[in-house]
Amino acid sequence: MAITKIAQVDVGAGGAANITFSSIPGTYTDLMVSMSIRSDVAENGTLILVQFNGDATDANYTWLRLLGNGSSTFSSTATQLQGGFATGSTSTATTFGNSSLFIPNYAGSAAKTTSADGVSENNATAAFQTIWAGKWTGTAAITSITLKSGGGNWVQYSSATLYGISNSGATGATVS
Amino acid sequence: MPNGMTALATLTLGGSQATVTFSSIVGTYRDLMLIIQDTGSGTEGLRIRINGDTGSNYSYVLMAGDGSSASSGSGSMTELIGGLVYSASISNSIYHFMDYSATDKHKTVLSRNNNASVNTVATAQRWASTAAITTLLVYPTAGTFAAGSIFTLYGVSA
Repeated sequence: MAITKIAQVDVGAGGAANITFSSIPGTYTDLMVSMSIRSDVAENGTLILVQFNGDATDANYTWLRLLGNGSSTFSSTATQLQGGFATGSTSTATTFGNSSLFIPNYAGSAAKTTSADGVSENNATAAFQTIWAGKWTGTAAITSITLKSGGGNWVQYSSATLYGISNSGATGATVS
Repeated sequence: MPNGMTALATLTLGGSQATVTFSSIVGTYRDLMLIIQDTGSGTEGLRIRINGDTGSNYSYVLMAGDGSSASSGSGSMTELIGGLVYSASISNSIYHFMDYSATDKHKTVLSRNNNASVNTVATAQRWASTAAITTLLVYPTAGTFAAGSIFTLYGVSA
Protein backbone atom coordinates (compact mmCIF):
# COMPACT_ATOMS: atom_id res chain seq x y z
CA MET A 1 0.00 0.00 0.00
CA ALA A 2 1.51 3.35 -1.02
CA ILE A 3 -0.01 5.54 1.69
CA THR A 4 1.12 5.12 5.30
CA LYS A 5 0.20 6.95 8.46
CA ILE A 6 3.40 8.37 9.93
CA ALA A 7 2.14 10.24 12.99
CA GLN A 8 -0.91 11.81 14.59
CA VAL A 9 -1.08 14.71 17.01
CA ASP A 10 -4.15 15.29 19.20
CA VAL A 11 -4.23 18.50 21.18
CA GLY A 12 -4.99 17.88 24.83
CA ALA A 13 -6.48 19.90 27.64
CA GLY A 14 -4.99 23.35 27.85
CA GLY A 15 -4.47 23.63 24.11
CA ALA A 16 -1.23 24.07 22.20
CA ALA A 17 0.50 26.91 20.44
CA ASN A 18 1.65 24.64 17.62
CA ILE A 19 1.30 21.17 16.21
CA THR A 20 4.65 19.75 15.14
CA PHE A 21 5.67 16.63 13.26
CA SER A 22 9.39 15.97 13.67
CA SER A 23 11.91 13.32 12.66
CA ILE A 24 10.00 12.73 9.41
CA PRO A 25 11.74 9.91 7.55
CA GLY A 26 12.91 10.55 4.02
CA THR A 27 11.73 7.20 2.73
CA TYR A 28 8.47 8.35 1.15
CA THR A 29 7.83 10.32 -2.03
CA ASP A 30 5.09 12.75 -0.99
CA LEU A 31 3.54 13.87 2.30
CA MET A 32 -0.04 14.69 3.17
CA VAL A 33 -1.32 16.36 6.33
CA SER A 34 -4.99 16.10 7.25
CA MET A 35 -6.13 18.66 9.81
CA SER A 36 -9.17 19.18 12.01
CA ILE A 37 -8.39 22.28 14.05
CA ARG A 38 -10.04 24.96 16.13
CA SER A 39 -8.36 28.01 17.66
CA ASP A 40 -9.12 30.18 20.67
CA VAL A 41 -8.83 33.34 18.60
CA ALA A 42 -12.00 35.48 18.56
CA GLU A 43 -12.74 35.14 14.86
CA ASN A 44 -14.62 32.82 12.48
CA GLY A 45 -11.58 31.49 10.70
CA THR A 46 -7.96 31.23 11.80
CA LEU A 47 -5.30 30.66 9.19
CA ILE A 48 -3.00 27.69 9.69
CA LEU A 49 0.58 28.77 8.98
CA VAL A 50 3.10 26.12 8.01
CA GLN A 51 6.84 26.03 8.66
CA PHE A 52 9.28 23.44 7.43
CA ASN A 53 12.42 22.40 9.30
CA GLY A 54 12.02 25.24 11.76
CA ASP A 55 12.55 27.85 9.04
CA ALA A 56 10.83 30.91 10.51
CA THR A 57 11.88 33.32 7.75
CA ASP A 58 8.66 34.45 6.09
CA ALA A 59 10.47 35.50 2.94
CA ASN A 60 11.40 31.87 2.26
CA TYR A 61 7.74 31.03 1.69
CA THR A 62 5.06 32.12 -0.76
CA TRP A 63 1.34 31.47 -0.69
CA LEU A 64 -1.23 32.25 -3.36
CA ARG A 65 -4.88 31.57 -2.65
CA LEU A 66 -8.44 31.66 -3.96
CA LEU A 67 -10.95 32.25 -1.15
CA GLY A 68 -14.73 32.26 -1.02
CA ASN A 69 -16.75 33.47 1.96
CA GLY A 70 -20.25 32.53 0.88
CA SER A 71 -20.92 35.74 -0.99
CA SER A 72 -17.68 36.82 -2.68
CA THR A 73 -14.41 35.44 -3.99
CA PHE A 74 -10.94 36.83 -3.50
CA SER A 75 -7.42 36.00 -4.60
CA SER A 76 -4.25 37.21 -2.96
CA THR A 77 -0.60 36.30 -2.43
CA ALA A 78 2.12 37.06 0.10
CA THR A 79 5.06 35.58 1.95
CA GLN A 80 4.63 32.94 4.67
CA LEU A 81 3.00 29.61 3.90
CA GLN A 82 -0.69 29.17 4.55
CA GLY A 83 -1.80 25.54 4.66
CA GLY A 84 -5.37 25.50 5.92
CA PHE A 85 -8.20 27.04 7.90
CA ALA A 86 -9.19 26.47 11.53
CA THR A 87 -12.41 27.63 13.08
CA GLY A 88 -12.06 30.37 15.70
CA SER A 89 -13.71 30.84 19.05
CA THR A 90 -16.68 32.75 17.56
CA SER A 91 -17.50 29.94 15.12
CA THR A 92 -20.34 27.53 15.90
CA ALA A 93 -19.45 25.59 19.03
CA THR A 94 -17.87 22.17 18.74
CA THR A 95 -16.99 22.70 15.09
CA PHE A 96 -13.50 22.40 13.67
CA GLY A 97 -12.02 23.57 10.40
CA ASN A 98 -10.96 20.88 7.93
CA SER A 99 -7.92 21.14 5.73
CA SER A 100 -5.61 19.01 3.66
CA LEU A 101 -2.01 19.89 2.76
CA PHE A 102 -0.13 17.93 0.08
CA ILE A 103 3.64 18.18 -0.32
CA PRO A 104 5.03 16.37 -3.39
CA ASN A 105 8.65 15.26 -3.47
CA TYR A 106 9.34 16.52 0.04
CA ALA A 107 12.71 14.77 0.28
CA GLY A 108 14.07 16.03 -3.03
CA SER A 109 16.80 18.61 -3.52
CA ALA A 110 14.64 21.21 -5.28
CA ALA A 111 12.43 23.88 -3.78
CA LYS A 112 9.23 22.48 -2.28
CA THR A 113 5.73 23.17 -3.56
CA THR A 114 2.44 22.57 -1.78
CA SER A 115 -1.24 22.19 -2.60
CA ALA A 116 -3.78 22.92 0.13
CA ASP A 117 -7.54 22.99 0.49
CA GLY A 118 -9.34 24.17 3.61
CA VAL A 119 -12.65 25.24 5.07
CA SER A 120 -13.68 26.86 8.33
CA GLU A 121 -16.98 25.44 9.53
CA ASN A 122 -19.73 27.72 10.77
CA ASN A 123 -23.53 27.58 10.95
CA ALA A 124 -23.68 31.32 10.42
CA THR A 125 -22.90 33.24 7.24
CA ALA A 126 -19.22 33.80 7.90
CA ALA A 127 -17.24 30.76 6.77
CA PHE A 128 -14.34 30.40 4.38
CA GLN A 129 -13.41 27.93 1.65
CA THR A 130 -9.95 28.27 0.21
CA ILE A 131 -7.48 26.64 -2.13
CA TRP A 132 -3.78 27.47 -1.96
CA ALA A 133 -0.61 27.11 -3.96
CA GLY A 134 2.53 27.29 -1.83
CA LYS A 135 6.29 27.26 -2.14
CA TRP A 136 9.23 26.96 0.22
CA THR A 137 12.62 27.86 -1.23
CA GLY A 138 14.42 25.36 0.99
CA THR A 139 16.24 22.60 -0.94
CA ALA A 140 16.76 20.31 2.04
CA ALA A 141 14.52 17.34 2.64
CA ILE A 142 11.61 18.21 4.91
CA THR A 143 12.14 16.59 8.30
CA SER A 144 9.71 18.62 10.38
CA ILE A 145 6.40 20.37 9.81
CA THR A 146 4.96 22.90 12.26
CA LEU A 147 1.35 24.09 12.08
CA LYS A 148 1.10 27.49 13.74
CA SER A 149 -1.74 29.88 14.36
CA GLY A 150 -1.35 33.53 13.45
CA GLY A 151 -2.16 34.29 17.08
CA GLY A 152 -3.57 32.33 19.98
CA ASN A 153 -3.60 28.58 20.43
CA TRP A 154 -5.12 25.43 18.97
CA VAL A 155 -7.75 24.10 21.37
CA GLN A 156 -8.31 20.65 22.82
CA TYR A 157 -9.53 17.96 20.37
CA SER A 158 -7.79 19.63 17.46
CA SER A 159 -5.90 16.99 15.54
CA ALA A 160 -3.56 16.54 12.60
CA THR A 161 -2.36 13.38 10.89
CA LEU A 162 0.73 13.02 8.72
CA TYR A 163 0.76 10.45 5.91
CA GLY A 164 3.60 9.33 3.68
CA ILE A 165 2.94 8.34 0.07
CA SER A 166 5.47 6.14 -1.68
CA ASN A 167 6.08 5.52 -5.37
CA SER A 168 8.54 2.71 -4.82
CA GLY A 169 7.91 -0.67 -6.39
CA ALA A 170 5.67 0.89 -9.03
CA THR A 171 3.99 -1.69 -11.24
CA GLY A 172 0.80 -1.73 -13.29
CA ALA A 173 1.64 0.75 -16.05
CA THR A 174 4.48 1.74 -18.32
CA VAL A 175 5.87 5.27 -18.50
CA SER A 176 8.25 6.86 -20.97
CA MET B 1 -6.19 12.14 -0.76
CA PRO B 2 -7.77 8.69 -0.71
CA ASN B 3 -6.43 5.63 1.03
CA GLY B 4 -5.50 2.37 -0.75
CA MET B 5 -3.06 3.97 -3.17
CA THR B 6 -0.58 1.88 -5.11
CA ALA B 7 2.16 3.28 -7.33
CA LEU B 8 1.73 2.11 -10.93
CA ALA B 9 4.57 3.97 -12.66
CA THR B 10 6.89 6.88 -11.98
CA LEU B 11 9.35 8.90 -14.05
CA THR B 12 11.85 11.60 -13.13
CA LEU B 13 13.24 13.27 -16.23
CA GLY B 14 17.00 13.12 -16.61
CA GLY B 15 16.84 15.61 -19.49
CA SER B 16 14.26 17.73 -21.25
CA GLN B 17 11.41 15.84 -22.85
CA ALA B 18 8.46 16.92 -24.97
CA THR B 19 5.93 14.37 -23.75
CA VAL B 20 5.42 11.78 -21.02
CA THR B 21 3.24 8.76 -21.75
CA PHE B 22 1.67 6.35 -19.30
CA SER B 23 0.52 3.25 -21.15
CA SER B 24 -0.71 -0.27 -20.49
CA ILE B 25 -2.51 1.01 -17.40
CA VAL B 26 -4.07 -1.95 -15.63
CA GLY B 27 -7.82 -1.84 -15.09
CA THR B 28 -7.92 -3.37 -11.62
CA TYR B 29 -8.27 -0.21 -9.51
CA ARG B 30 -11.23 2.11 -8.93
CA ASP B 31 -9.55 5.49 -9.55
CA LEU B 32 -6.25 6.88 -10.78
CA MET B 33 -4.22 9.72 -9.24
CA LEU B 34 -1.61 11.47 -11.36
CA ILE B 35 0.88 13.62 -9.44
CA ILE B 36 3.11 15.99 -11.40
CA GLN B 37 5.80 18.44 -10.35
CA ASP B 38 7.32 20.23 -13.29
CA THR B 39 9.25 23.04 -14.84
CA GLY B 40 9.62 23.56 -18.57
CA SER B 41 11.25 25.44 -21.39
CA GLY B 42 8.79 28.30 -21.63
CA THR B 43 5.50 29.64 -20.29
CA GLU B 44 3.04 26.96 -21.18
CA GLY B 45 -0.05 25.10 -20.08
CA LEU B 46 -0.12 21.45 -19.07
CA ARG B 47 -2.32 19.17 -21.16
CA ILE B 48 -3.36 15.53 -20.90
CA ARG B 49 -4.83 13.39 -23.66
CA ILE B 50 -6.61 10.13 -22.87
CA ASN B 51 -6.26 7.00 -24.99
CA GLY B 52 -4.98 9.06 -27.92
CA ASP B 53 -8.34 10.81 -28.30
CA THR B 54 -7.72 14.06 -30.23
CA GLY B 55 -11.39 14.92 -30.65
CA SER B 56 -13.32 17.69 -28.93
CA ASN B 57 -14.44 15.21 -26.32
CA TYR B 58 -13.18 17.00 -23.20
CA SER B 59 -15.18 19.57 -21.24
CA TYR B 60 -14.25 21.57 -18.20
CA VAL B 61 -15.34 24.00 -15.53
CA LEU B 62 -12.69 25.71 -13.48
CA MET B 63 -12.07 28.34 -10.85
CA ALA B 64 -8.76 30.14 -10.50
CA GLY B 65 -7.00 32.74 -8.44
CA ASP B 66 -3.92 34.55 -9.70
CA GLY B 67 -3.03 36.37 -6.53
CA SER B 68 -5.09 39.44 -7.29
CA SER B 69 -8.30 38.33 -8.95
CA ALA B 70 -10.60 35.32 -8.99
CA SER B 71 -12.07 33.83 -12.15
CA SER B 72 -14.17 30.97 -13.37
CA GLY B 73 -14.65 29.47 -16.79
CA SER B 74 -15.98 26.53 -18.75
CA GLY B 75 -15.75 25.08 -22.23
CA SER B 76 -14.77 22.17 -24.40
CA MET B 77 -11.29 21.19 -25.50
CA THR B 78 -9.34 18.49 -27.32
CA GLU B 79 -7.53 17.54 -24.09
CA LEU B 80 -7.62 17.95 -20.31
CA ILE B 81 -6.33 21.26 -18.98
CA GLY B 82 -5.44 22.89 -15.66
CA GLY B 83 -1.73 22.92 -14.94
CA LEU B 84 1.27 24.98 -15.94
CA VAL B 85 4.72 24.22 -17.33
CA TYR B 86 6.91 27.26 -16.64
CA SER B 87 10.65 27.71 -16.88
CA ALA B 88 10.81 30.39 -14.19
CA SER B 89 8.84 28.67 -11.44
CA ILE B 90 7.89 25.19 -10.32
CA SER B 91 4.34 23.87 -10.63
CA ASN B 92 2.49 20.92 -9.12
CA SER B 93 -0.66 19.20 -10.32
CA ILE B 94 -2.91 16.50 -8.88
CA TYR B 95 -5.38 14.81 -11.24
CA HIS B 96 -7.97 12.41 -9.89
CA PHE B 97 -9.54 10.17 -12.54
CA MET B 98 -12.66 8.60 -11.07
CA ASP B 99 -13.91 5.16 -12.04
CA TYR B 100 -11.32 5.16 -14.84
CA SER B 101 -11.80 1.56 -15.90
CA ALA B 102 -15.60 1.61 -16.06
CA THR B 103 -17.13 1.00 -19.49
CA ASP B 104 -20.62 2.25 -18.68
CA LYS B 105 -19.94 5.93 -18.10
CA HIS B 106 -18.05 8.99 -19.25
CA LYS B 107 -14.97 9.72 -17.15
CA THR B 108 -14.81 12.57 -14.66
CA VAL B 109 -11.57 14.15 -13.56
CA LEU B 110 -10.96 16.51 -10.67
CA SER B 111 -7.71 18.43 -10.56
CA ARG B 112 -5.81 20.86 -8.38
CA ASN B 113 -3.07 22.79 -10.11
CA ASN B 114 -0.64 25.11 -8.37
CA ASN B 115 2.15 27.54 -9.07
CA ALA B 116 2.78 29.86 -6.14
CA SER B 117 4.18 32.51 -8.49
CA VAL B 118 1.25 32.39 -10.93
CA ASN B 119 -2.03 30.84 -9.83
CA THR B 120 -4.00 28.17 -8.03
CA VAL B 121 -6.71 26.33 -9.98
CA ALA B 122 -9.39 23.74 -9.33
CA THR B 123 -11.07 21.99 -12.24
CA ALA B 124 -13.82 19.49 -12.86
CA GLN B 125 -13.52 17.88 -16.27
CA ARG B 126 -15.20 15.15 -18.31
CA TRP B 127 -13.90 12.90 -21.02
CA ALA B 128 -16.93 11.92 -23.12
CA SER B 129 -16.05 8.28 -23.62
CA THR B 130 -17.14 5.02 -22.04
CA ALA B 131 -13.81 3.37 -22.81
CA ALA B 132 -11.56 2.33 -19.96
CA ILE B 133 -8.54 4.62 -19.61
CA THR B 134 -5.40 2.76 -20.64
CA THR B 135 -3.12 5.58 -21.81
CA LEU B 136 -2.34 9.11 -20.63
CA LEU B 137 -0.25 11.45 -22.77
CA VAL B 138 1.07 14.42 -20.76
CA TYR B 139 2.64 17.42 -22.52
CA PRO B 140 3.09 21.18 -22.43
CA THR B 141 1.25 23.30 -25.00
CA ALA B 142 4.68 24.06 -26.50
CA GLY B 143 8.29 23.29 -25.73
CA THR B 144 9.43 20.66 -23.28
CA PHE B 145 9.38 19.53 -19.70
CA ALA B 146 12.69 20.27 -17.99
CA ALA B 147 15.01 17.78 -16.37
CA GLY B 148 13.96 17.02 -12.82
CA SER B 149 10.23 17.08 -13.60
CA ILE B 150 8.51 14.18 -11.83
CA PHE B 151 5.43 12.22 -12.90
CA THR B 152 3.80 9.49 -10.79
CA LEU B 153 0.65 7.50 -11.47
CA TYR B 154 -1.18 5.78 -8.60
CA GLY B 155 -4.05 3.32 -8.61
CA VAL B 156 -6.64 3.82 -5.88
CA SER B 157 -8.45 0.78 -4.56
CA ALA B 158 -12.13 0.81 -3.76
